[in-house]
Amino acid sequence: MKQIYFLLFGFLLTFGSIAQTNTSTKLSGTFLGMSFERFVEKVESETPFQFFYKKSDVENIQVNLQASNSEIRLILDEVFLNTGLTYSIDSSQRIWVSKGKRILIDFPEEYFKIQKRQEVLVNAGDSLGEFDKNKRFIIGKASDNPESSTAVLSGVVTSIESGNPMNGAVVLEKVKYSQVATDRNGRYQLTLPKGRHTIWVQNIGGFQEQRQIDLRGDGILNMSIEETIMSLDEVVVSSGALSNINKLDMGVQSISIAEVKRLPAVMGEVDVLRGVLTMPGVNTVGEATTGFNVRGGAADQNLILYGNSTVFNPTHAFGFFSAFNADIASGVELYKGSIPVNYGGRLSSVLQVDPKFGRKDKIGGSGGIGILTSRLSLEGPVGEKTTFIVGARTTYSDWALKLLEDEADLNGSKISFYDVNVNVQHNLNEKNILELSGYFSQDDFRFDPDTAYSYKNLNLSLGWRHFFNDQLEGNFTVGKDGYEFGIIGQDNPLNSFDFGFDVNQLFARADFEYRKNSNHIFKFGVHAIQYTINPGTNKPYGSESIVIEDILQEENAREISVYFGDEFTLSEKLSFSYGGRYMFYQMLGPMTINEYVEGAPITESNVIGEKTYGKGENVKTYHGPEFRASARYILDNRSSVKIGFNTMRQNIHLLSNSSSISPTDSWKLSDTYIKPQIGGQGSVGYYRNLASNKLEFSTEVYYRYMNNLLDYRSGAKIVLNDDIEQDVLNSDGKAYGVEFLLKKNTGALKGSLAYTYSRSLMKTSDEPSVEKINDGEFYSSNFDQPHHVVLVANYELSKRINTSLNLNYSTGRPITLPISKFDYAGSERVYFSDRNAYRIPDYFRMDFSVNLEGNHKVKKLAHASWSFGVYNLLGRSNPYSVYYVPEGGKLRGYQLSIFAKPIPFITYNFRF
Amino acid sequence: MIKVSRLYWVILILAIACREPFEPEIEPTDEKVLVVEGYLDTEGIPSILKLSYTRNINLEDGFTETYPEANVFLESESGEQYSLTPLDSGRFEFANDISEQENYRLRIFTNDGNSYSSELLKPILTPEIIDVGFERNENGIEVYLTTKGDENADDFLWTYHETYAFRPKIPTAYRYDPDRKTVVLATEENQTSLCYRDQLSSDLILETSSRFEDQFVFRQSIAQIPTGDERLSVRYSVLISQKALDKAASEFWEVMRKNTDDLGSIFSPLPSNIGGNIKNDQNPDAPVVGFVSLGTVKQERLWIDFRDVIPWGRPEVPEYFGCIAEPDTILIKDYEIAFNSGGFMPAIPIFCDTCYEPIGFRKAERRCVDCTLRGTNVKPDFWEE
Repeated sequence: MKQIYFLLFGFLLTFGSIAQTNTSTKLSGTFLGMSFERFVEKVESETPFQFFYKKSDVENIQVNLQASNSEIRLILDEVFLNTGLTYSIDSSQRIWVSKGKRILIDFPEEYFKIQKRQEVLVNAGDSLGEFDKNKRFIIGKASDNPESSTAVLSGVVTSIESGNPMNGAVVLEKVKYSQVATDRNGRYQLTLPKGRHTIWVQNIGGFQEQRQIDLRGDGILNMSIEETIMSLDEVVVSSGALSNINKLDMGVQSISIAEVKRLPAVMGEVDVLRGVLTMPGVNTVGEATTGFNVRGGAADQNLILYGNSTVFNPTHAFGFFSAFNADIASGVELYKGSIPVNYGGRLSSVLQVDPKFGRKDKIGGSGGIGILTSRLSLEGPVGEKTTFIVGARTTYSDWALKLLEDEADLNGSKISFYDVNVNVQHNLNEKNILELSGYFSQDDFRFDPDTAYSYKNLNLSLGWRHFFNDQLEGNFTVGKDGYEFGIIGQDNPLNSFDFGFDVNQLFARADFEYRKNSNHIFKFGVHAIQYTINPGTNKPYGSESIVIEDILQEENAREISVYFGDEFTLSEKLSFSYGGRYMFYQMLGPMTINEYVEGAPITESNVIGEKTYGKGENVKTYHGPEFRASARYILDNRSSVKIGFNTMRQNIHLLSNSSSISPTDSWKLSDTYIKPQIGGQGSVGYYRNLASNKLEFSTEVYYRYMNNLLDYRSGAKIVLNDDIEQDVLNSDGKAYGVEFLLKKNTGALKGSLAYTYSRSLMKTSDEPSVEKINDGEFYSSNFDQPHHVVLVANYELSKRINTSLNLNYSTGRPITLPISKFDYAGSERVYFSDRNAYRIPDYFRMDFSVNLEGNHKVKKLAHASWSFGVYNLLGRSNPYSVYYVPEGGKLRGYQLSIFAKPIPFITYNFRF
Repeated sequence: MIKVSRLYWVILILAIACREPFEPEIEPTDEKVLVVEGYLDTEGIPSILKLSYTRNINLEDGFTETYPEANVFLESESGEQYSLTPLDSGRFEFANDISEQENYRLRIFTNDGNSYSSELLKPILTPEIIDVGFERNENGIEVYLTTKGDENADDFLWTYHETYAFRPKIPTAYRYDPDRKTVVLATEENQTSLCYRDQLSSDLILETSSRFEDQFVFRQSIAQIPTGDERLSVRYSVLISQKALDKAASEFWEVMRKNTDDLGSIFSPLPSNIGGNIKNDQNPDAPVVGFVSLGTVKQERLWIDFRDVIPWGRPEVPEYFGCIAEPDTILIKDYEIAFNSGGFMPAIPIFCDTCYEPIGFRKAERRCVDCTLRGTNVKPDFWEE
């Protein structure tokens, strides 16, 4: 297999080196760090073009680009970008370069008049290109709505190559800088003054294209633009430089799959969640956890969505890898500040991983072969209207470990996983789209031969998108999300057990978006979830086992939320977003609950009876509103301020008595005694673009409060506990912080620098309880890491060679340390400090990676790339935890590091 | 690819997780917390209550511990008092046959003016141990125990005390007598070739019998002895104590076990603050560590002889690394020079064809010959051959 790819790869390389020099006006080649003069020589030697310019004008120009069969104009636009130089091309293919004003020569007759009129209409200095492909589109009818001075331009942006809608393409008008990014369906809508405009479309990282329009009334302009084969950057983000300022949402971080792919990977696996961890305000307690903490919230307070499906465990191999196959995702957005009104149910954040849908032009695919894992995906059209994408990943460990059996200490360990994604999209017609999305993952691992862990995610959803008209769009989704884990222990045949837990939710949601006019975007909908949790079963395993079956009673509940929100543009400078959700939650029978003495701590001794509820009977109801409000004021073209406040409710809780997400953590529904978590957040932010939009800067300050959090009393038993309410402590939390982000999205050097100062504190609430942790004072939560710095730097040596560096520093997480010792039962034992009174040593890690791309011929069978690098380049042993064990009756302290050495990796990737 | 992948897993498993000593700077706390340990026997068999204080985690050996002086008694709900006799080092003896039908409270009056009371203690009669035994498996042997819970005794704690006989690397029947400046045959009192060691295991083994059918705890694993371990090189004995606990006590011991064993691995639970069932009367929020129980302790002793486990393999004891008998013979006239300092001892006697007494000895380091450096040559009273 490998040899075949090598052959193929080699063949393609050879093929690629035959440059296509004969095309008269198109150009191919790599121009790296060239002076303009050298560039001219090259172009003149390969094309019939001739250049005319003043030497002094071009002295400081350096050409850095890669072209493959590109229009000379597009290349020159790029070369002269921000240089103050312009050019004209006359009919004899002579190129006249000039400073400031363009030299006017040889206008095609039919353009002359138009040009003249445009010069009257448009401010001087705003050069309107007169490209060959520029044709003036007349949009709308002047007779419609003649008294209005503005009109609405809308349409769909699609890719020329695949025909797919382009998500995140920016459509803008440069005179007044009205701009908008296309949505998932490639749709955009702009309100412009009537008259002539040049509309620019830019797929960030790709080329800009433009259209001349004469806007006479509301109308539609659909555009097909080239995707980005030339620039190698894949479909990139919606929140580009311009949106940093204009976007109404605050506390939203987007990361494109292309950006994720540039990050150094752990063990060669491109990891979506690791990309999320480069954002300010996002922490993790340890390396082997892809469970993450957003703005001082617990890991279970993140709503992790793949499309519309909730993923309960977002990790593989107990946290080494994320559950998302980067080939089947198109982008990631993390909402940590103002959470859009159409999301709810978790306190801290929403992580939206957008699924990818198949391309429309031909069957293609991609894949990668790494040392531990490999992945393959296939996509393409089925007939005219349907596309599919199927992807899978797996580890090799099963066979690898079989080979290890003779190596004594290792044969007990086993780590393996696989996952499968299927996404199908069917366009019934222009107004109706069906989407089916499925995800399944399975993990198996063990550290000794006797105890085997496994867990599974299963997500299925079917969506129907309907465009009622240009203004109203509806999305109707039904689906099922499931997660389960199991432990099989066979230490001893008599005590062998099979432990299981599962959570399932059926959901149905209807979401509507109504664009009343350019000033209002209404979002409203209803969201229903039916939860079923099996909190734990323990069964005998094997015929000899005498373990008694223990099945905790099933939990059933339903949650219905309705929401309404409006994005209201008051003026060009000032916009508001406001809305609310109302959540209604009911725990349903059959169920038997304990009754406790009123007003006394919930303990076993305070049980006064039991109450049994029949099937479907209402056990407990909680309901309440959630509010969302935010506002944005644009100070000038380069900066804006935003302010936001929102409240959240959460009915499903993760029971976890370890500091990280562990595979044996189980979910619990709110019940009579465990109340829904409630929280609110207020934030203020300032956004500014620097260096002609090359640099984005943002800073946000936030304060959060949280109630009904769960902490655990000393000696709490979490697994197989039918009376879990006796072991949890109702707690309050608060978190605050300030985040700074500096980001550079263009140029050869890209990257971001994020600094966060944040605190996250908890205290046992004032409700009567069996224990007040730290005497009821505030204490650091497990993920209170005040200082956090992440630097991601990516340098393109050429379009083929890409290096990246990742630095990560954070304050050590809090731990409870043994402070004194005593003798008990024949050994020294430890006595612990107050909860989380100490910290483990600070965390610092540096990763480095290099991506090598093959050549970029459009017409070749497969595009291949290698990525290799080193995780934890400095080999620093960052402690994950600290513990004391008695050894020979003496206590010894140890720190445990997970990646204590540099871990090299290499992966071969291909797409076709 | 398979090979690379295999190698990679090996590297990962071996190299990535790394454990290093950790010595944090901990602010010295003067916090002296009273520690109370005891399982008092209700049938009159003498049992010990221990009082001590917590001490700073960084304290090294050689520190002289101070123990609280106190007046300790057990008080029944009907008002009867049974006092505990103070012994040395914070130990108190309880030897009263008391009714198991009553509830009691332990009262401690320390001479620093504080007083402490336990919560109400309800005696629990521990069921008998049904069987103890051992089983050979691929790793060595496993000592197990079988018992059965009842309506009063559901949660169990097992601890064990091991004693074993062992020989030095180079056993000899002789000794150098410094008074007579010659080598003589050793007597039973000063022999150095067979010794006994004992150790109280720090393992806390907990189990709940109601997890099993008929509360029958079958072959609960108590101790594992790996193949080749010195404990089975001659003869081994283990005394297993079974104590029934109530739910609160079992939680206390579970916390103690978790705080000792389970911390620090990837999925470890957070450490729990340990408390117990004793409160300071003057300041109920002041920490006190310890859980006192009342009841009966059931014990069973198991013997394992090296002949039961043959083949066992030679023990590798770090103290004996590099032990050899030196090849040169030390003749009688050189005994004093060779052995008087005590660094070397006569190990292997050399006889001539006709002589009755050895004409000399090959010597060996004391650590290789004298087992009393690692144990006692006095046979324990309970020892059965």
